[in-house]
Amino acid sequence: MAELDLKSAINAISDVIENRPRSLREFDQIYMKAGDMVMQSEFVARWSDGKRLSFIGDGDAISVCVAYLKKRGIINYGPSQITVFDFDERIVSAVKRFADREALENLGSELYNCLDVFAGPNDFDCFYTNPPWGASNDGESVKVFMQRGMEATSYRGEGMVVIADDPDLTWPKRVLAKVQQFGIENGFFVQKMMPWLHSYHLDDAPDLRSCNLIFKAVSDEVKIFDSSAIDAKDRLENFYGKENAPRVRYVREKKTLGYGKAHDDEYSLELLES
Amino acid sequence: MGNLIVPGQGVLFMKVGTHARESLEDIIERKTREIEESSFALWGYGGSTCHPQTMVQPFARDYHRQGGRIYLVMEPMESKHFAEPVRADELSVDGIKWEPIPKPINVKGSRYALVIQNLRKEEFDLPLDRTEVALGNSMGAPGGKYINGRVDKACLRILDEHHGPDRRVHIGLVADIVEPFAVYVRNKID
Ligand SMILES: C[S@@+](CC[C@H](N)C(=O)[O-])C[C@H]1O[C@@H](n2cnc3c(N)ncnc32)[C@H](O)[C@@H]1O
Repeated sequence: MAELDLKSAINAISDVIENRPRSLREFDQIYMKAGDMVMQSEFVARWSDGKRLSFIGDGDAISVCVAYLKKRGIINYGPSQITVFDFDERIVSAVKRFADREALENLGSELYNCLDVFAGPNDFDCFYTNPPWGASNDGESVKVFMQRGMEATSYRGEGMVVIADDPDLTWPKRVLAKVQQFGIENGFFVQKMMPWLHSYHLDDAPDLRSCNLIFKAVSDEVKIFDSSAIDAKDRLENFYGKENAPRVRYVREKKTLGYGKAHDDEYSLELLES
Repeated sequence: MGNLIVPGQGVLFMKVGTHARESLEDIIERKTREIEESSFALWGYGGSTCHPQTMVQPFARDYHRQGGRIYLVMEPMESKHFAEPVRADELSVDGIKWEPIPKPINVKGSRYALVIQNLRKEEFDLPLDRTEVALGNSMGAPGGKYINGRVDKACLRILDEHHGPDRRVHIGLVADIVEPFAVYVRNKID
């Protein structure tokens, strides 16, 4: 960590940020700030070194940063394989586009809504999720994303859950307790908690931070399980905030020419007089 | 008149900019005409501290179900900034189904709008330290601490008593927030 070339790392993260679609607040897409992405990506790469890593939702594009920092030689460790599962086709395509352009062979992405059956693969060693934080549902939305992460590892791996943490507010503490309890009920224990770490482009709570909550399975035996769709009303009714149950299976990308360029309807050209 | 300041009452606090070009009285007159013609007006706003779907609608529905309502309470302030004069022409309650905004109603330069009636001048102090954020990511945060340089709007609930110093803001403009409470607005997409 001490040897991280900060300038190169920030410039690499900046390439990733350029490639990210704009966030949709309605689905809790709230992007992490650049400085925190640098530190988080380095940490995730170290944590998952040599392992197969799945991301359950990744608007932040930590997955891409992790793969790219290694490819650029800014760090010399990182996961052997990364797959992003997200229900937003714009995010899925952004990952693919970046992986293609930079020849990141070990980075892939799949369109997947975590309310649907998780069809695998189930042989990941670890999972990472930064889910909807569950202020209005006592962490139920966190548990849904985490469940899919645990399924991706067949309940025998490790997981990093990135959720709200605040010294003053009550709801993040309630969610943290529920989520830890959920992990324990599913055969995991909390290996590490890194409190009050990351900031976000979150204008309704600019000071709210998130923590890394790291789980590890008690047993390293593969668990046989059936993945099933999640449709219980009490798990869904406040999924994206109070009284905001999911209604969308996928966010579809409208294909445009010139991805990432300013939209034609944002400006007009006033010519120099000749 | 401070009869909105009762424990349990919900208010949506924001600032309202007045310009040399348009005074508070002018704004009230213009919006009241819209309400007379269409039975409601749209009050445009931006930022996501009061997102229509995840914040304002569930907040207002809570009160509506119990036969009550929430109020828009605004602190007037001088503003040098003029909103982009682009009129939105469609509105949506859920971000999926869009409909035209009735002709007499104007909402400009914003992505969200509150649905209001009975816009009126009312002067009283809102004791921010006797409120808390009612829902969302900052739920439970004391209003006096929450409203600061970076955050200038909030869905607040009035509490029984003060927490912390007695910070007040002066309200000069009030409206009823009525069904469907808050909407997305946009320019027509062809
Ligand atoms: C919920 S957001 C959490 C905030 C995080 N900082 C971010 O913006 O990525 C994380 C990711 O989950 C994705 N997501 C939201 N709902 C989903 C669902 N039902 N299934 C799969 N992914 C989902 C979003 O598209 C986003 O990329």
